[in-house]
Amino acid sequence: MKIAYSLVTRRTFLNTLFGGWLVAFCGGSLYALLKFAFPTLGKEPDFVVLKTGDFINIPPNSVKPFAWGGKLGLFFKKENGSTYALKGVCTHMECNVTYKPEDKKFYCACHKGWFDDNGKNIDGPPPKPLEFFEITTEGEKLIIAKKGIKVELPKA
Amino acid sequence: MSCQRLRNWIEERYDVEEMRRLAKHKLVPVHQYEIWYYTGGIAMFLFILQFITGMVLSFYYIPYFEHANKSVIEIVTKLNMGWFFRSLHHWGAQLAITVLFIHAFSTLLLKSYRKPRELLWVSGFILLGISIFFGLSGYLLLWDERAFAAVRVATGGAGNLPVIGGLIKAFLRGGLDVTGDTLTRFYAFHVSILPLVTLFLIGIHVLLVQYHGMSVPLSLEKKPQRQIPFFPNLFYKDLIIWLLVLGIMVSLAVLLPPEIGKKADPLAPAPENIKPEWYFLFLFQTLKLFPGDIMGLNGETIAIILISCGILFFFLIPFFDRKSSRGEKSVLFTWIGVLYTLYFIVMTIIGFVS
Amino acid sequence: MKRIVFAVSFFFANALGLFAQDKAIEVFPAAPYDRFIIFQALALFWIGIIGLIVIIRMKLREIERIQRMGIDQEQKDTPLLD
Repeated sequence: MKIAYSLVTRRTFLNTLFGGWLVAFCGGSLYALLKFAFPTLGKEPDFVVLKTGDFINIPPNSVKPFAWGGKLGLFFKKENGSTYALKGVCTHMECNVTYKPEDKKFYCACHKGWFDDNGKNIDGPPPKPLEFFEITTEGEKLIIAKKGIKVELPKA
Repeated sequence: MSCQRLRNWIEERYDVEEMRRLAKHKLVPVHQYEIWYYTGGIAMFLFILQFITGMVLSFYYIPYFEHANKSVIEIVTKLNMGWFFRSLHHWGAQLAITVLFIHAFSTLLLKSYRKPRELLWVSGFILLGISIFFGLSGYLLLWDERAFAAVRVATGGAGNLPVIGGLIKAFLRGGLDVTGDTLTRFYAFHVSILPLVTLFLIGIHVLLVQYHGMSVPLSLEKKPQRQIPFFPNLFYKDLIIWLLVLGIMVSLAVLLPPEIGKKADPLAPAPENIKPEWYFLFLFQTLKLFPGDIMGLNGETIAIILISCGILFFFLIPFFDRKSSRGEKSVLFTWIGVLYTLYFIVMTIIGFVS
Repeated sequence: MKRIVFAVSFFFANALGLFAQDKAIEVFPAAPYDRFIIFQALALFWIGIIGLIVIIRMKLREIERIQRMGIDQEQKDTPLLD
């Protein structure tokens, strides 16, 4: 169906085509640039592998720190000998927490937040409990993993 | 679109009409040599790209000699598309310096330096020197064996200038030898001092071009000129050429990413067949021409003096070429220009293949 | 063009020299999967550039057509409605 008049002027057509293509092109290039400029926003590991011997024999009612990506991880042995691993990062403003054996509680000095020995937030501003991990042992290897992650060790 | 509202906002506060009139009046002559007009703009575009890629690379580069090489390796192997941006920066530098030489020699041969544009030649020459120093300082930042040896040779060569050589060498090196202090110094040059000076000089250079307009070769000056407006005709032609240059640069970056060697060891011997970057080759090839001893005087010093005189003459050509500043045909200086151009090209090629 | 050819041959000569020592550092992703993505991206990039150049040429032709007709200048004595 031919119409007698043009729906847009040549100028509008050309300018829209140019502008649109230019925006797409520059947008794509800018995306590439930004992907480089913004660092891979601090990805946490899915699991870490530690040496069993270093951690399994700590005294009861104490913690031993380990590296969880760039953050603090705590290997925790309760009074009764059961072992746990947790992220030692306060759920309020991400300060590192410390364990107070006398009180059997975790304490965050930044805003005086308290967690019980199961990680539940009991006092102060922290809104959520501490994150606990799953522990598996394979002989010499102590594997600390995020809950729900299937651990596949590289054949190294 | 609300472009109209934005335009109204600006026009109510600033005299855009004046600028618009000035822009409409910018005319560019059309003739058989007009292709050389584009070289300056391409050089500027490449510099802008270098600034962008350089800024983003400086987020991750560590300018301490202990970690420098490793930080580049990390950029190239671990970061998202790090290899690409480093490769872009490398090829941008190679292309920029190439285009700058083309720009310099074309203005020499077309005699664009003649009156009234002498200051354009002067600022341009300084910019060329700065760009070469950009290349040298950037190259050292890799801190791998080749870069280390190349900078040792280059600063050592500068040190052979009579009288001021020792001072220049100490200033560039930050000491007696190429050390971590040299790296810090070159980083300061590459990232801070040279960019600021470059911006200033490019500003002056471009302003002078706007002021004088485009130079027309002497042979065509007397004839009536057809002129086309810069906005929008040449603006879009510039844009097309810049896009092509961008495409070439990206293709080179993807298909030929540059290598990086392992960390420099100051005590290790220089690697086999060490050569400076290609834009220094003509200088070093010239040095090789001179025997060690000329009539009892140190051959190398004489070579350096002669080279310096040659470069100084090149710098002052607009002031020596009296005929062209009067608007007359200046055959002697055409031949001098041809000689310089051929010498540079031939010596660079010989330096490459030898 | 010559310079690029020399640059390429110089690069290759240098690269081979590096292989003489321990393994050269990978400056280009090795996995074929990554390589294909990169070449695909390059192809798309060129399509983008050529598309832009074609559109700009169309614009330029239109501008020259208008300029030849002489209707791009503002008329000198447009009467103002006072």
